[in-house]
Amino acid sequence: MHILLVEDDAVLADGLNRTLQAQGMQVEIARDGLQADALLQRHSPIAIVIVLDIGLPGIDGFEVVRRLRARGDATPVLLLTARDAVEDRVRGLETGADDYLVKPFATPELVARIRALARRNAPKSALLALGNIVLDSSARRARVGERPLELSVREWAVLEYLLQHAGRVVSKQQIVDAIAPWGEDLTLNAVEVYVSRLRLKLDGAGVALRTIRGFGYLLEAAA
Amino acid sequence: MSSIRLRLLKWLVGPILVCNLGAAALTYMLAWTPAQLAFDDGLRAAAGALAGRVRAEGLGVLADGRAPDDAAGEAGWAALHDGAGRLLAGSAALPPPVTRNGQAGAERGRDTPLRDAQLHGEAVRIAVAPSIWQGAPATVSVARTVRARQGVHAAIVRSLVLLEGVFSLALAGLVWFSVGNGLAPLARLRARLDARGSADLAPLDDAQMPRELVPVVDAFNALLGRIDAGARAQDEFRANVAHQLRTPLAGLKLQLEWLAARHAADPDSARSLALMLQANERLIRQTNQLLSLERAEPNRFARARLQPLDLAALVADSIQHFVEQAAARDIDLGFELDAAPIEGDRFLLRDLVDNLVDNALRYTPLGGRVTVSCGAGSGDGSFLRVEDNGPGIPAQLRSQVFERFVRLDQQTTGSGLGLAIVRDIANLHGAELGLGEPDEGSGAVFTVRFP
Repeated sequence: MHILLVEDDAVLADGLNRTLQAQGMQVEIARDGLQADALLQRHSPIAIVIVLDIGLPGIDGFEVVRRLRARGDATPVLLLTARDAVEDRVRGLETGADDYLVKPFATPELVARIRALARRNAPKSALLALGNIVLDSSARRARVGERPLELSVREWAVLEYLLQHAGRVVSKQQIVDAIAPWGEDLTLNAVEVYVSRLRLKLDGAGVALRTIRGFGYLLEAAA
Repeated sequence: MSSIRLRLLKWLVGPILVCNLGAAALTYMLAWTPAQLAFDDGLRAAAGALAGRVRAEGLGVLADGRAPDDAAGEAGWAALHDGAGRLLAGSAALPPPVTRNGQAGAERGRDTPLRDAQLHGEAVRIAVAPSIWQGAPATVSVARTVRARQGVHAAIVRSLVLLEGVFSLALAGLVWFSVGNGLAPLARLRARLDARGSADLAPLDDAQMPRELVPVVDAFNALLGRIDAGARAQDEFRANVAHQLRTPLAGLKLQLEWLAARHAADPDSARSLALMLQANERLIRQTNQLLSLERAEPNRFARARLQPLDLAALVADSIQHFVEQAAARDIDLGFELDAAPIEGDRFLLRDLVDNLVDNALRYTPLGGRVTVSCGAGSGDGSFLRVEDNGPGIPAQLRSQVFERFVRLDQQTTGSGLGLAIVRDIANLHGAELGLGEPDEGSGAVFTVRFP
């Protein structure tokens, strides 16, 4: 997974580089807006996600995004901003960025958002894996370690959605909207039933499926 | 304080009144002098006629000392004096004519002076006419009361006073009205300034301003421009501070996390790194809080940024962060989120929600329970409630907790700013902030009720 990181602060760029590499990502670093713009013009697509600081010397992050989009390049952009001025947030998204994060951010949050953006353009047939779970969407086969996992259609859909959003809190309503998108009759209680069945089946799978009381669930690798 | 209206009135009404007084004096002279002359001519004619009769008919004419009555019914007296002023006949009450060079009544006709005098307790006017008695020059004096003249005089004065009074009042009223009318643009300018929001620093439009006010408006706009530039500079400064502090803090955090992961196996290093990470978190939090405190300043609050929002969605936006924070302290964090429509500033309200929940997660003991709920109350507006099962806050301390830098629990690392931010933002939104205890057990319940 290639990431283009555009950040002028050396300490932060180095920290981000190490953190993202530890997550198995290959990171290319640009130090200012013009360098990033030149890189993006020469090799497109250079990355599957661009992590872009707004406050850059030369041309700022907004301008980099504007030029990128003007060239018809749809590579997802995650803006990093140290300013929380309202205008910055709104303007960033209006310019064509896909997401933004205010510095300093929680590292898992950053990683989760980058993965979410990467997945947006990734082919659907990708293998989903977390802990010992592997979900092969193309083959519609799931296993925990070597043990095959028998899942109903609904359970599959719920687990797939949770794996796609691993590390993120998802609401029951989000699950309903995702697995019954055509207004099929699916209650929040039904989601609870599927999740409790999944929880039994995922015992020993090296994941924690936490209930966020009154809201939804959080699937993450067991500590 | 000087008043333009009073100054204008003083300088307009004063001179007008003086002019009116002058005009009145002139009118008085124009009206009174001819009347006086007409009366005097009559009197002089009467004196002349009497002198003729004395010459023709002798002293008998003056036997009773009375002058013949005139048409106006004035009482009259008459007397004949010789050249030396001795009374020859007629009323002894009449003063002898004034002598000039020993010659009484040497003057003739119109030049004969008339005198005013008192006779039998009444004001009279006396005319003299030259006559001849026994071959020597003599003078006939005729005195006549001035009742008719006084009547005419009184009528003239009365009319003038009435006329000038009405005239002056009418002019003063007109001036008052005109001055008010002339000052109306000032009143409109004031109304426009009053109608402005505290953050509205846009220049005033001088298109419909009278020429005299344009320099004032221009000077005022220049001042507004300088204030606006100052506010912008302050915004810029704040943004720069945010950038200058947050970027190194973010870098430091990542570096420390990387180091902590690398040295997890070495207990001493791990402990030291955990402390550094804690300090880093505190710095981050306090930087954020100082910035949001500044953002919640009432004079920075822009009504234009208010928009319809749902509290439930706002809470959901921050839920990831809350869940991670709760997990770190093993707190059972739950939600009861129903649709709670309000009007508000999205970014300020996010600060409010963040600080309220953060406060509960921070001060609830490990393994405690925190519930965040929101919804539309029965009848009144929407509410946000954060309830914990911690030790709660004693009733006598509840009023203090919203003050800046007040920390009830010295053991916990807090800045003492969180609840002050909550209070400031609630105030800006006209929301009511309440602090109580749960129905059962111990704990604290913070409630924000929106209008």
